[in-house]
Amino acid sequence: MKKLLLIVVLVVFIAPTAFAAGAGVARHNTGCGLGTMLFGVNADNSSLLQAFQATTNGTSGNQTFGISSGTSECDQPKKFVRNERLNEFVRANLDDLAKNIAFGKGETLNTLAELMDVPQAERELFSRKLQAHFRDIFPDANVEYAHVVDTILSVSSRG
Amino acid sequence: MHRRHAYPLLLFPFLLALLLPAAPVTGAETTDSLRELQASARERALHDDRYWEILLHYRRGWFGRESLVDDRRFFLSPTGKKDPASELAATLAGFFREPTRKETVNEEEEQPHPRCRFPARFEWLKQRLSIDASRLPEVSCGEFDNAILQINPKSASLIFASAHMNAPASMFGHTLLRIDSAYRSPLLSYAVNYAATIDRRDNGLVYAFKGIFGLYPGYYSILPYYEKVKEYANMDQRDLWEYRLNLTEEEVRRMVLHTWELQGIFSDYFFFDENCSYDLLFLLEAARPAVSLTDRKGAWVIPIDTLKGVLNANLVEDAVFRPSQARQIRHATSLLDGEKRGLTRAVIDGTLPPEDLLALDISREDKVRILDIASEYTQLRYTQMKLPKEEFQKRFVGMLGTRSRMEGAAPPAPPIPMPERPESGHTASRGSLSAGVRDRKFFQEISYRPAYHELLDPESGFTEGSQIEFAAATLRYYPKDEKLRLQRLDVINIFSAAARDEFFRPVSWKIRAGIAAKEFASGKDGTVYTISPGGGFASKSRFFGLTYLLLETELDYSRGYEKDYAAGVGLSMGTLKKITGSWKVLAQARYIAGLLGDTRRGQEFSATLRQGVPLSRYGSLFFDLERTVSPGIRNTEAKVSWNFYF
Repeated sequence: MKKLLLIVVLVVFIAPTAFAAGAGVARHNTGCGLGTMLFGVNADNSSLLQAFQATTNGTSGNQTFGISSGTSECDQPKKFVRNERLNEFVRANLDDLAKNIAFGKGETLNTLAELMDVPQAERELFSRKLQAHFRDIFPDANVEYAHVVDTILSVSSRG
Repeated sequence: MHRRHAYPLLLFPFLLALLLPAAPVTGAETTDSLRELQASARERALHDDRYWEILLHYRRGWFGRESLVDDRRFFLSPTGKKDPASELAATLAGFFREPTRKETVNEEEEQPHPRCRFPARFEWLKQRLSIDASRLPEVSCGEFDNAILQINPKSASLIFASAHMNAPASMFGHTLLRIDSAYRSPLLSYAVNYAATIDRRDNGLVYAFKGIFGLYPGYYSILPYYEKVKEYANMDQRDLWEYRLNLTEEEVRRMVLHTWELQGIFSDYFFFDENCSYDLLFLLEAARPAVSLTDRKGAWVIPIDTLKGVLNANLVEDAVFRPSQARQIRHATSLLDGEKRGLTRAVIDGTLPPEDLLALDISREDKVRILDIASEYTQLRYTQMKLPKEEFQKRFVGMLGTRSRMEGAAPPAPPIPMPERPESGHTASRGSLSAGVRDRKFFQEISYRPAYHELLDPESGFTEGSQIEFAAATLRYYPKDEKLRLQRLDVINIFSAAARDEFFRPVSWKIRAGIAAKEFASGKDGTVYTISPGGGFASKSRFFGLTYLLLETELDYSRGYEKDYAAGVGLSMGTLKKITGSWKVLAQARYIAGLLGDTRRGQEFSATLRQGVPLSRYGSLFFDLERTVSPGIRNTEAKVSWNFYF
């Protein structure tokens, strides 16, 4: 009986350590398709850890000066004059971009338009065109960013 | 890390310069001008100049000046950390040094020439000493030039990440600097962050220890702002406040130059003072040396104080609120009726395929709203790792594909109610004077809590249901028996009640570790060392407020117990309700059954009724009533406290 009680006590003691919502875990943005965020979680994400985590804002990545995040590990878009900034942005924000294109609005979509030098007056048309072609831009779950960039460029340049 | 390579073609002339005897600058000439400049710098005591102190992070202490930077590579003089003059002379010498072949080629992994490594120092010294650039050896800084081109600094913002609703520790906040470019979209800006690089193998206790005592190295980083938005606003569910700074383009450029000097340079990270927030202040000072921000007064620096300091220095133009993705979803779902909420949930859970939603007899606007929320929510679940990647990709594309067929954007909705700005909150330190009666005995108390916020403190600028206190101490005096004692010392006291609904199911939790005075049946007082964690659930209703139920355990150590300890398990239940805008009532009942050790004395029931009324940003009143019942002992206590925040 006593052993059982001890186990109960221990479990309840330790349990809160498992509850804590993730904060300040290491993040690496890798991949070329949707869901590009990959997270490495700290081995022990306990409450106490968390209590301090928020102020150390610990990272365990060594990427400190990521002026350019690069797209070298991915297939490259074919049609476009190389615009590294645009490529990087699309790769790193593919999920939000998909969402914004389907919704017909959003900050990520506006940023894309700015990177593509779409004049303010044509932005609405731009959004509508992309929304209408969502299924061409994102044909399936395994779509990669190169296809997305190519299709966006051809869709938006079409009349 | 990807770095840009320098352009080999541009370097060609400099390679030549190295090889040809008729180079533009001869060694002897260089040495002469260097000596001259070093002498002139010494004469004018440039090493005592405030800007030099800022650039090298020197702080004046009892034993002279010492830099807060701990990385040797930051100093060109071996004694540079403690000797500003020798560092200045060595820096000048570094600028005049012929680049080595490796520096000229500027290969990855290699250390670039000091002039490329320390552009802010170079620019400042060049200007102050009127250095004739033609007398310097030619150096090309391809990587640096590229970075500046890419960042394109025009203006800057201070970013404050406010609390995650279920992580009280995040109430301390976090600050970053954002370098804004000519782009209109802030997502294309770069964020400068200072953070500890932790060892992922460390467990919580080691983590805490290392964090407090400076055993983790802190590094500056520059990353695209969109990464930070994803990290804080989406994944961590923290709102971001973007304070636009009134720095000029030239000032911002200087800030970037100095940030560059800190690339790959570590300083020991101290949780309480030399933390994420404090170290960013050097960058602001590098931008505008006329403001003095790093002369800290207290023993610790909390990010919110940094923000207040920057606001007081009149550096801020205006603030933009960027709600977290979770807040956006909560707001959007709050606008739906029960039926639509149910449908949203069904789409999220996959029980209602998105195409089937289109066939339902509800308005087009509602379908759009439901699909928008379901997609956002699915994305959030993925970033929180509650959905495997393949599953996420499939569902996400499915929902969005259906959504895209409903042409146009969602109809305009009422805007998200903006919370109070973080700087409107009370300050972290709290002093209290209390008077009360315990079992007909009058007492007085004096309390001090260095940080940070408890449930009853004024809520403006803080998160409801969140509490985190460090080192809160109370001394109590009974005039009748002329007895002064340590009534309570909470080393740490965290409580988080986060309401659950159909969409968010956070776990509420608490942990308290500390010392408290306790009366034992023998009539003797004892000191009890306690640690008590707990976990459970909370929900919110208009009538009852924020109600919680926690399963708790408690481990007590005291000489007063049989076998010196008592361990128990029990329940606590309570509700936190705002009667008016700011008057709060907290009612709680708690029962702990003794399980191990002194099971009899370990048993305790308590009922408390507490009220908090803010007087201003700097003061509040608490009214506490408490009844405790243990076998053989019953106590009743009433107390009034006046709290002041400073």
